[in-house]
Amino acid sequence: MNNTLQKKHGFSYAKYGYLFSLPFFIAFLVFNLYPTLYTILLGFTDSKGLGNITFHILKDDPWKNFRTILKAPTFALSIKNTFVLWTMNFIPQITLALLLTAWFTSRRNKIRGQGFFKVVFYMPNIITAASVAVLFNALFGYPKGPVNDLLVATGLRDSAFYFMNFAKPTRWIVAFIQFWMWYGYTMIILVSGVLGINPEIYEAAEIDGANDRQIFFRITLPNLRTILTYTLVTSLIGGLSMYDIPKMLNNGNPNNSTLTSTMFIYNQSFAGSYMYARGAAASMILFLIIAALSAVVFFLMRDRK
Amino acid sequence: MKKLLAILLALVMVFALAAPMASAEGKTVINVMSFTDEVPKMIDRYVELHPEFAEKYEISTTIVATTDNGYQNALDAALAAGEIPDIYCAEAAFVLKYAQGDACEYAASYEDLGIDVAAEIEASAIAPYSVEIGTRPSDGKVVGLGYQATGGAFIYRRSIAADVFGSDDPAVVAEAIGAGTQSWDKFFEAAAALKEKGYAIVSGDGDIWHAIENSSDEGWIVDGKLTIDPKREAFLDLSKELKDNGYHNDTQDWTEAWYADMAGIGEKPVFGFYGPAWLINYVMAGNSGGTAPGEGTYGDWGVCPSNVGFFWGGTWVLGGKNVVGTDKAEAVADIIKWITLDSSEDGLQYGWANGTWSGEQGTKDTVASGVVMDKSNGELDFLGGQNMFEAFVPANEYANGSNLTQYDEGINNYWRDAVRQYTAGELSREDAITAFKQNVADNFDVEVDF
Amino acid sequence: MKLEKRDGNALVKAVIYFVCIVLAVLSLFPFVVMAINSTRSTYQIQQHAVSLIPSTHLMENFKVFSGKSFDPWRGFLNSLIVAVGATVLTVYFSTLTAYALVAYSWKLRGAMFTFILCVMMIPGIVTSIGMYQFMYRIHLTNNLLALILPAVYAPAAVFFFRQFMLASLPLELLDSARIDGSREFYTFNRIAMPIMKPAMATQGIFSFVGTWNSLFMPSILLTKDNVKTMPVMVAMLKGDIYKREHGAIYLGLTLTVLPLFIVYFALSKYIIAGVALGGVKG
Repeated sequence: MNNTLQKKHGFSYAKYGYLFSLPFFIAFLVFNLYPTLYTILLGFTDSKGLGNITFHILKDDPWKNFRTILKAPTFALSIKNTFVLWTMNFIPQITLALLLTAWFTSRRNKIRGQGFFKVVFYMPNIITAASVAVLFNALFGYPKGPVNDLLVATGLRDSAFYFMNFAKPTRWIVAFIQFWMWYGYTMIILVSGVLGINPEIYEAAEIDGANDRQIFFRITLPNLRTILTYTLVTSLIGGLSMYDIPKMLNNGNPNNSTLTSTMFIYNQSFAGSYMYARGAAASMILFLIIAALSAVVFFLMRDRK
Repeated sequence: MKKLLAILLALVMVFALAAPMASAEGKTVINVMSFTDEVPKMIDRYVELHPEFAEKYEISTTIVATTDNGYQNALDAALAAGEIPDIYCAEAAFVLKYAQGDACEYAASYEDLGIDVAAEIEASAIAPYSVEIGTRPSDGKVVGLGYQATGGAFIYRRSIAADVFGSDDPAVVAEAIGAGTQSWDKFFEAAAALKEKGYAIVSGDGDIWHAIENSSDEGWIVDGKLTIDPKREAFLDLSKELKDNGYHNDTQDWTEAWYADMAGIGEKPVFGFYGPAWLINYVMAGNSGGTAPGEGTYGDWGVCPSNVGFFWGGTWVLGGKNVVGTDKAEAVADIIKWITLDSSEDGLQYGWANGTWSGEQGTKDTVASGVVMDKSNGELDFLGGQNMFEAFVPANEYANGSNLTQYDEGINNYWRDAVRQYTAGELSREDAITAFKQNVADNFDVEVDF
Repeated sequence: MKLEKRDGNALVKAVIYFVCIVLAVLSLFPFVVMAINSTRSTYQIQQHAVSLIPSTHLMENFKVFSGKSFDPWRGFLNSLIVAVGATVLTVYFSTLTAYALVAYSWKLRGAMFTFILCVMMIPGIVTSIGMYQFMYRIHLTNNLLALILPAVYAPAAVFFFRQFMLASLPLELLDSARIDGSREFYTFNRIAMPIMKPAMATQGIFSFVGTWNSLFMPSILLTKDNVKTMPVMVAMLKGDIYKREHGAIYLGLTLTVLPLFIVYFALSKYIIAGVALGGVKG
């Protein structure tokens, strides 16, 4: 990128940097600063109980909630589940999204109907997670449901299988739904990134006789680096805050095998005892984990030039 | 750019639209908050029937769905902000919180609203469990009552009863399942007899859970500590016994297979379901595969008292504490009284029981007032002409309102998952109980002994 | 040799088409189920939740849906106001903020970017408590602005636009505009924004879909019938757990998703191809 010009004019134009990011910052101050600070504060209090506005800061033992959370086996399990579920859906998701991007942006091998496909692949993301969960619950119903009816009718199984009562199948169903809802989204982002690459670079490569594979790996991927960073970081954040599908599909069951960390936080804060303080502490721990991992992604994806 | 301007213009219109609406002419506003339009519609009806009331008061209704805890979040936020609704509703799953638990101090006692509640309860013979649930422990005063009564009975297939027990008479079936014995011994004898002829006694273990839950002597929490009542712990063994012997179709409530059993098209024909009157009206009748006797299982059902008393669901109506002492108190009291305590033929409950409250003939349902039940007719074609109130009136008496806690919804979910894991052979009995205890310890503010 | 290669290509293409068609069927399946279920009765749905055979209960379902205390058209309008307002604010101001981060070098630029990344990573669940308590405190409940104005703050969108600009916004173009005497704000609106079209369309779709479908905050903040959005109304149909009107719920879901289709197809031309980089060459 052309840094010299930027520097030359940098000083005199610096005020626009502040000016143009001002609305964003004001909106943050007005609507989000208070809730954010409030959450941080809550983690160090004994706040619990609905509608109970009075709480005390734990002066003698400020880290009490953090210790309670870190000691809770369910929290550790929820973190583990979140990683397992994220890996199970993200690897196939990014692979397929990259593959589709390569296919749809190939300048030589035009895929017919690619406009249609691009549009349609994003569509699972349009429906709400609640509707999707209801649908899959019905599909894998036990002892009657379309999937079981099919398995029995085709003789693949003698009797119906209770998918949602076993950890592995339930995890695969959750991972599949996440994959299916998000690969199109990821693909659209990647495709928009490719569309942003200067076509002259491609034209030059074609004149030099590069083949499709070379173009994808030598031009598309390197130019897509910043967008890929975005995809990785946001998928990481989104994946580690996974909530809707595991919650609505089977409520974290069976035996907490699909309980994610955000569900754990929700359960602390809302379902039952309203232990806001513990929920806030768990949120901060989760934040640190996400931040650390994102830092790793940024480091790995840094511009090595 | 022009497009953008157009959109920005549209935005300006948005601002105009979003401006708060002005409130109407000088009537006193009564704020109502609910999670369905059921109670608001009753209040509309009350206003319709009382023109003099309509002249003085205006009803402002807020309805928030229970989805994602939306209703509780909105109600809690309003309560905490001091904007307590004048009348609000709570469903059985969360009524404890508002009547006895963390949020009970926001409610006005019926007495403070000016209702002579003890005398009215007695005069209308209100179901005792409904009163128990609506009584605030801190001062022993009634803060909420229901209109519906949801005491449960056993709803069985007449043809199967005739085949296995020789008669479809409710008395015979009641005898066969040990009605009123508060035990499951006779039930399993009946299950064995039914199995010999190829029938399942119930659809899934969820069907007996409500009865078991409500029959226990103690709730999940006693003095801040998790307590597993022996009767609830027995659910592990009863559920396993049902599954291992093939006494049920292993369905989950509210799923396809469960509904199929109501139509008699499941794996094995199912003998019966445990439930209150609404289960017949809203769930079973529609799923029976017909709409008139002879079609599907319609008309082939009977109802008899359950072996253990229980109730399932219901809505309680509460008054906000800010009303007390204002000029709204009387109006709020009148509405609440009309819905929950009026046993006359002009009261809501008489219309509700006979399906005539909204003017047209609707579904008949059981109500909280025993007096109303006595003078109402619960004959249903679905039950082959049987008067269902015969079975449900005593059921309302036997239902127990004292073994509930405000965390039941969450704790029950963990318990039922543990039981499923045990019956499926995924966890040992001991591990299932440990897993359950761990969940409660980590998710609730409750002491747990391992 | 040449022949072999062409065969290989044909095979690759066959695989591509096969994969695409399978994925397309999987993508469309839930919409078909939804639409068909909105013509089926509650009891038909309870007996068989998934069916490909339409039934005859569409009008009944519509009667249930429109017979509730709310007005679906009002809900539709409210949803539209919120979604359009929030999307416009998100897309415009996020692009602007990203532009500030990319096109200018200023002292706090790095700090601002780190800040944006951090706020993006805060798990939203607990923060939402503070958020709606705050909205209640400043009396912005039952006001659509409570859902529109916060859209100016969209850290993930800023991050996306920044990453996109790093790769695609030629800074020399901005400099040449400056030499031509273009003012900074004008340069952003007239030169930078057209280059960002594919990115803006993409985020526009995501933001529109996100706000259109959002339920959690709206259901807590909008409690009066005249301000409720579509998803909040549909959720109310589910409120009565003992007699859920499944047919009407599916009809509601179908009606909720229809406008999304229209917006999506209108914006999709930007993500399909061909309109990229209007500014660079022109």
